[in-house]
Amino acid sequence: MRLPASRWACALLAAFSLALPVMAAPVSAKRIEQAAGEPNNWMTYGGGYGSRRYSTLTQITPKTVKRLQSQWVLQDNVIGVWESNPLVVDGVMYVTQRPNDVVALDARTGKVFWVYHYTPSPDAKVCCGANNRGVAILGDTLYMGTLDAHLVALNAKTGQLLWNTPVADAKLAYSITMAPLVVKDKIVIGVGGGEFGIRGFVAAYDAKTGQEAWKFHTIPGPGEPGHETWADDSWEHGGASAWITGSYDPQLNTIYWGIGNPGPDWNPAQRPGDNLYSDSVVALDADTGKLKWHYQFTPNDGYDYDSVQVPVLADIPWKGKPAKVILWANRNGLFYVIDRVTGKFLLGKPFVKVNWMSGFDGNGRPIQTPQPEGAATYPGNQGGTNWFPPAYNPNTGLFYFSVWENYATIYRREESKYEAGKVFMGGGFSVLTPAPGAPSPGIGRKGPINNWTDETGSGAAVAVDPHTGKRVWTFPQFDVTEAGMLTTKAGLVFTGGREGFVYALDAKTGKPLWKSHLGGQINMAPITYQVGGKQYVAVIAGRTLVAFALRD
Amino acid sequence: MPLKRLAITIRKTLLIAGLASLSAVPLRVSAQIDDHQYSTAAIQAGFKLYSRQCQLCHGTNGDGIAGVNLARQRFKRASSDDDIKNTISAGVATAGMPAFRFQPDELSSLVAFIRSGFDTSGTPFKLGNAARGKAIYEGKGGCQSCHQPKGEGRFNAPSLSEEGSTRQPAEIQRYLLEPSAAMLPINRPAVIVTRDGRTLRGRRVNEDTFSVQLRDQDQVLHSIAKTDIKTYELAKTSAMPSVAGKLAPDELADLIGYLVSLKGP
Repeated sequence: MRLPASRWACALLAAFSLALPVMAAPVSAKRIEQAAGEPNNWMTYGGGYGSRRYSTLTQITPKTVKRLQSQWVLQDNVIGVWESNPLVVDGVMYVTQRPNDVVALDARTGKVFWVYHYTPSPDAKVCCGANNRGVAILGDTLYMGTLDAHLVALNAKTGQLLWNTPVADAKLAYSITMAPLVVKDKIVIGVGGGEFGIRGFVAAYDAKTGQEAWKFHTIPGPGEPGHETWADDSWEHGGASAWITGSYDPQLNTIYWGIGNPGPDWNPAQRPGDNLYSDSVVALDADTGKLKWHYQFTPNDGYDYDSVQVPVLADIPWKGKPAKVILWANRNGLFYVIDRVTGKFLLGKPFVKVNWMSGFDGNGRPIQTPQPEGAATYPGNQGGTNWFPPAYNPNTGLFYFSVWENYATIYRREESKYEAGKVFMGGGFSVLTPAPGAPSPGIGRKGPINNWTDETGSGAAVAVDPHTGKRVWTFPQFDVTEAGMLTTKAGLVFTGGREGFVYALDAKTGKPLWKSHLGGQINMAPITYQVGGKQYVAVIAGRTLVAFALRD
Repeated sequence: MPLKRLAITIRKTLLIAGLASLSAVPLRVSAQIDDHQYSTAAIQAGFKLYSRQCQLCHGTNGDGIAGVNLARQRFKRASSDDDIKNTISAGVATAGMPAFRFQPDELSSLVAFIRSGFDTSGTPFKLGNAARGKAIYEGKGGCQSCHQPKGEGRFNAPSLSEEGSTRQPAEIQRYLLEPSAAMLPINRPAVIVTRDGRTLRGRRVNEDTFSVQLRDQDQVLHSIAKTDIKTYELAKTSAMPSVAGKLAPDELADLIGYLVSLKGP
């Protein structure tokens, strides 16, 4: 049968387009700024400068989601928890593998274009796993922080190394596990090492040359405001790391960054004072790195309540007026709303059981209620939530994140002496369990059997209304979870958990609409993108990256 | 409190007595000898060092890294004490474990703590005569009526034939004296009534959000979807009776001596 000429043309075009090379324009700063306008791509860690992990793609809906099917799988051969956030630009996916490999692949088929391999110095030390959470892209260049605290730039087409700049000294246990943030012509990155007595910082580097442009010390030095919040020389090794990517508001020309715990972690008596800017959000001038304001969530923290959660920027009405705010579910168990223009505290509400504080004073400072020695502190050491990214959906107005419920820790506080490059934690801790020595959850899952059970803590995906700080829905899980969130305009929330399930939940009600068992823990947020007219959801579980799309 | 009565004894002499008695029975005792050449001071020093330097990754129970369980002597690379020391000193770069620069006595204390099976409580215990303990196990103690060699006894009681390689003496003692308080959550006796009317009694072996895996009293394995469950009860009381008040302190010591000698087939 003859086809009409126009149908032939269509068929030809379709066949041709399958073989067409990807027409990739360089990723300009402007493109990143306007990322919301090109939902086919996932160009930054947080899915846009506001880190909302919200996509306007609508092919996968609450109605069609049941037709999701695995399209391809990338297998990782590296042992350990895989916490990377892939980027997708014009049909090419860039994902990192532990410790510091970068893989470029066809986002439609999973076929690999190139692999860049970086061997961190044997001096590299990290407290909690040789993780890397992904690359950043600007122009045709990829940027990655390394376990031994370098920043490397790669040619995105070939994987060739362009430059390699030391950011900090790995011998002193500085490390980088976070994905960098591109701001205009600079690459902004922070350091880990809060368990090793570092002095944390966030720094910006020239994207072309790798030259340092500015550096913000997260612990003020002598003569700087805030220095007085550290007794004696405790500021020198006070931690305050910055190990998760920040956010950026181009209109306000401001970068927002979450700062980690003070050190030694569990002995606040060794560092009397508020210990600024540990456990704070800092607002920095995007061009100079100068501090505009800060808000501290947990002054003089003795619980390792890192405030490294990615700042989620939202524009919502607040008490009847439009407001630019930051939404923040903190490791300390409280959900916060902060005015991101002024830094003013607007709301703070516990989202899990909390007993380290009992309320706020008039300035939004927590009234702390330290528990007696040997008594349990809620939330426990890994927090009510942690670094895993939340999501905000402007359509539902809800904020989504993973929580650990009924989970508590008993701390033992000791004097610690700083020794360069060694662990500096000020004691130890144990998780509250129903029987002495019973298994309990820690960082990552150890195998396919859950023998600690929900009696030592359980997980949930929750939705919170930013205006009240109250939960709107809860999707409970038997095991705790370290999965991040993805939400879409079509009304879905994608997440997962340690048990190896990836879920699609109804964004309004939390009702599970689809799930798939991938057999390995999910320790990052899923992402979504579109290539060739098809919307994909990519998720990493265990040692596999799986891309789902609707069955034809 | 029986625990406190036992505490009066001096640990070191008892350990030597325990070893002497163990060597009299034809069992694999080499690990046992290794286990007990560590002083209380070293174990406690190791605990302190561990909690400062190792715990964040390896966990409170030593099982924080996949495939490794330090308290249960399960390693990826190490088997001898020197292996453990070498791993600590060299680190495991590929797994992100740093190389630690410890002094020799610090390394020894870490090994001691690991070999003690993470006995952080420091509960004193006495290892008695394993042969006499065997007689108590089979006779007066009444253990064998439930804990049979392959786990086929009543109440789904587990086999204890590898008890000595999986539990430290202080932990065994706690089980014997306070079985319900010592019971791990996963071991709580389960009764599940399904929507189609079946009643399953047994022990959980695994559970997640959507299903529970159970071994019933006839050793049959079940995997049950939670949507198929009508009622699901977990008892907080162990089916095992306490031996407190039933066995004299020396008999308890003999029984522990026997149980730690069980190293599996």
